[in-house]
Amino acid sequence: MNKQQFMKELNRSLKKLPDEERRDISQDFEEHFFIGKQEGQSEEDISSSLGSPGQIGKEMLAVYHLDQVQSAASTGNMFRAIWAVAGLSFFNLIIVLGPFIGLLGLVLAGWAVGISFTVSPVLVLAELIVNPEASSIFEFFMSLTLAGIGLLISFGMLKLTKWLTKTFIWYLHYNMRLVKGGAKYEYR
Amino acid sequence: MNIQFKKGVLELCILVILDKKDCYGYELVQTVSRHIAISEGSVYPLLRRLTKEEYFTTYLQESTEGPPRKYYSLTTKGKTYLKQLIEEWNEFSTGVNQIIKAGVNDE
Repeated sequence: MNKQQFMKELNRSLKKLPDEERRDISQDFEEHFFIGKQEGQSEEDISSSLGSPGQIGKEMLAVYHLDQVQSAASTGNMFRAIWAVAGLSFFNLIIVLGPFIGLLGLVLAGWAVGISFTVSPVLVLAELIVNPEASSIFEFFMSLTLAGIGLLISFGMLKLTKWLTKTFIWYLHYNMRLVKGGAKYEYR
Repeated sequence: MNIQFKKGVLELCILVILDKKDCYGYELVQTVSRHIAISEGSVYPLLRRLTKEEYFTTYLQESTEGPPRKYYSLTTKGKTYLKQLIEEWNEFSTGVNQIIKAGVNDE
């Protein structure tokens, strides 16, 4: 692979990044090729020592999205970061996506319980209007108790969701440090 | 050597090299690959991440031959991080060496 092919493939794998970021990354590799050639290496030698431009691009994407989610932990940023880190290798896919799906299920279930408990008095009141004979004052007080528990659960879920988000970002980072690139990476 | 293991140590190596003096990318890559077989391209994402985490700053400096080069320089935050990594590494390698020694003695 010569320099032009390398740069083309690298740029293709970076096309989802903002222009400025992509230009900056290309610039670094232009510099690398320039100095390498000055030292008497051929473009082919330089690019084969560098490794797969597609894999380098994937790592660059992961670095970018991880930085984004750290400055603003929005849901969109979170998903993009997870996707980018999971995409690094098959190994990453399993150790990132597996725990994430498990935790996501847990969080969704917790919120479902919290919210449905909290709104239960509304449901009882609705039944009172639709079907006055079947409902009792006991049901209504029960639902008030449930609502209290539901509020507690929701509040707990709010804390838990925040904490899990922070922990998971840390986990993504830890992954980047340890298995960045993974076994797919070829080296000389 | 196991490649995943090597990647973790690459970060430490780069920080150590930059602790001595500021370097440009190509220079860093060559210094590391003289000692350890690595996929050279993987150094750049690492440099980018450590820069974003404010362990490095970068600046352009004119070169006598060709266009200016991007130099990487270790920040105070980076120096603290390096110290921590060296401690972790020493602890880890001492542990492994002890296990190897004990294993060899038993045989």
